Amino acid sequence: MTIAQTPPPAGGPALSVRDISKSFGPVKALKTASLDLMPGEVHALMGENGAGKSTLVKILAGMHAPSGGAILVDGVQTALPSPRRAAEAGIAVVHQELLLFGELTVAENVFAGHYPRKGGMVDWAFMRRRAQELLADLDCHDLDVDRKLGSLSVAMRQRVEIARALNHNARVLILDEPTAALGERDADRLLEIVLRLRARGVAILYVSHRMNEIFRISDRMSVLRDGTYIATRNARETTEGALISLMVGRPVDQMFPKTEVPIGGPVLEVRGLSCGPMVREASFTLHKGEILGIAGLVGSGRTELAHVLFGVTPAQSGTIHLHGQEIRIASPRAARDAGIAYVPEDRGAQGLVKPLPIRENISMAVLDRISPAGLINRAKEAAVAKRGFDMLGVRASGPEQIAGQLSGGNQQKVVIAKWLQTNPWVLILDEPTRGIDVGAKAEIHRLICELAGQGLAILMISSELPEVLAMSDRVMVIAEGRIRATLPREDATPEAVGHAMTARRSAS
Amino acid sequence: MLKRHGHETVLAGLVVIALVVMSFQSAQFLTTGNMLNQGRLMAEVALVALAMTFVIVSGGIDLSVGSTMGLCAILTGVLWQNMGLPLGVVLAIIPLIGLICGLFNGFLIIRVGMPPLIATLGTLALYRGLAEGISQARSVRGYPEWFAAIGQGSILGLPTQIWILGIALIVAGVILGLTRWGRTVQAIGYSEPAAHFAGLPVNGAKYAVYAVSGLAASLAAILFVSRVSTTRSDMGTGLELDVITAVVLGGTSIFGGRGTIIGTALGLILVQVLKNGLSLAGVRGDGTLVLIGVVLVLTLVAGAFMENRVRR
Repeated sequence: MTIAQTPPPAGGPALSVRDISKSFGPVKALKTASLDLMPGEVHALMGENGAGKSTLVKILAGMHAPSGGAILVDGVQTALPSPRRAAEAGIAVVHQELLLFGELTVAENVFAGHYPRKGGMVDWAFMRRRAQELLADLDCHDLDVDRKLGSLSVAMRQRVEIARALNHNARVLILDEPTAALGERDADRLLEIVLRLRARGVAILYVSHRMNEIFRISDRMSVLRDGTYIATRNARETTEGALISLMVGRPVDQMFPKTEVPIGGPVLEVRGLSCGPMVREASFTLHKGEILGIAGLVGSGRTELAHVLFGVTPAQSGTIHLHGQEIRIASPRAARDAGIAYVPEDRGAQGLVKPLPIRENISMAVLDRISPAGLINRAKEAAVAKRGFDMLGVRASGPEQIAGQLSGGNQQKVVIAKWLQTNPWVLILDEPTRGIDVGAKAEIHRLICELAGQGLAILMISSELPEVLAMSDRVMVIAEGRIRATLPREDATPEAVGHAMTARRSAS
Repeated sequence: MLKRHGHETVLAGLVVIALVVMSFQSAQFLTTGNMLNQGRLMAEVALVALAMTFVIVSGGIDLSVGSTMGLCAILTGVLWQNMGLPLGVVLAIIPLIGLICGLFNGFLIIRVGMPPLIATLGTLALYRGLAEGISQARSVRGYPEWFAAIGQGSILGLPTQIWILGIALIVAGVILGLTRWGRTVQAIGYSEPAAHFAGLPVNGAKYAVYAVSGLAASLAAILFVSRVSTTRSDMGTGLELDVITAVVLGGTSIFGGRGTIIGTALGLILVQVLKNGLSLAGVRGDGTLVLIGVVLVLTLVAGAFMENRVRR
């Protein structure tokens, strides 16, 4: 079951990538990427969306065959025609979308595809013991390996996936945006695990957009841009700004271009809003031109609060006033009619209909307003799409391009463009920059400030504390379905917010 | 054109090829009389297939259409002959029955949350069981002349069914391609959560597609009873398979989202041409089935291949 292996030659790289290229038809996703990964190093792989990181990761995982170049494992040229062969070569990959089986138990997932046998039967006892050992190594001492995977949190599932990778005695571990779906605290624990594996001599290739993480754990960083290898830097000898310029190809002035906007009267007044266990007696007021940030861990009830305000799960009690008038929001459509817009957390599944063109996505929320007697007015639709497309500076061949083909940042612009067509008073942004590369991130931030400047009242939910702190006029901290604290910009320090997030109710 | 309609293009080519090949097999095939008669014969399947296109584009399926048709057919006879209602009144009630059957499917799928396949598999049995229970194995005959005119008569030299189909085709094509309702159904099929989060009336649209599917099945029942001048409880058995074959052959994705009315029309024509042409050429029924199966698989593969080629 485990693969016999000789220790790597001292000093040599565990994995070398030499001039790897990959084309999909006429599209060159990767041209001449090269990289050395040393044992016991954390090597960050960076680049904007579409730079070729995921393609490189998939080649190393044995999922794509490279069009050219060579891969050397311990100095020996190795072909990786399938994920199984990659695993046998000691390369383990934890993908961005976890590839696990929700209906199987933790132990079964750890051994998926490689069940240990004893006399022709699956050796369940060994499987469970070994799974327990592996997970204990990853700081999960108390996890019941007989639980169904689907019942675990994202953070736990990820640890199971890492355990599965380590089960093959991987000497190269590739993590593709492992913290993208994690809250601050789970992300911290994951980083500790990564550092522990490094100490054991595992060579780690770490793909992430989060700068603070990368600087905390990486020894070296390599940057890809437009499918081409740009440079490798030692962590100690470079800065965030320098890396971003390498990734974007031009200097980026500001990550968080917060502009001061005069804050007007109250727009949205929420009192005692409740719905199930995740939204309990929420009360707050949102003003014209204000950005109210919501900080909270994943599962704290922040998205649930947004869903109540947007009518996805209508409130069970409490009141909502918009411009002083009490409104009832029973459906997303009612929310839209009242002037509330919501850019959802899951862009791919909730924000966009990916197979449809940009035009049809932008017009979707106002479809009934441009369809007298049901017939869609094509000229009006084209005008709506063009306006949204131009206003947000979507980078695409045109409004007829399929939305799913765009990069994350441009997809998000399409979602925002769609909602701006409804002329909302209140814009709720749920994780507006999740999975978006740095260049586009700064652009979205600038856009949010502009919209606030135009008088929109903005409620912004984010897992990234720096983003919340830098962008918000006030920060509302949510934990266990309750608003624990509301801090004005001056008082919203990472410590204060962190304290409010984790403090027990009795202590706050 | 090819980019988004590769499948329809392949299909149109196949229809032409089939027409040419079949016309060489039998002198009776490519005659006006035969063509018009084929239009008459395919009307029931076609009417239901147009409605089914919406159901499948929305990401659902309706297996109960054949049973709905059977139930509506038997009720036509029972309400008229056994209950003594005037036939005109019965013809007004039957579409309501079809509508109710469809709405009940919608209720199971939307409110109860059953998967469409399971819900309509259940009502397939339920509606057929009701039909058989009501009919008590009797058949009803002796419909008046004026009623037979619907299924057997002609207007301006064309069979009544051709007119009905033509109108239904245009209405369905306009709704699916040009209106916000069609767009809504399509968006739901591609991604129901995204449609919901965009404020589209997801539940209303889903109720509508199942209701229309039931309605189409009831209209098909009236056409069929009128055409054959008799009523039996086993009418429409297996209709769902002919209907789904035509829709899927027409390029509608069984996963929802993609689909056109013109594709469904071409799919219907191709199946009918093969059936009729082969039987005129003396091929046995089972041979025809095999060929339809092969054509279905090959068209889907070719359509997918072309669209991928063009997209790259």
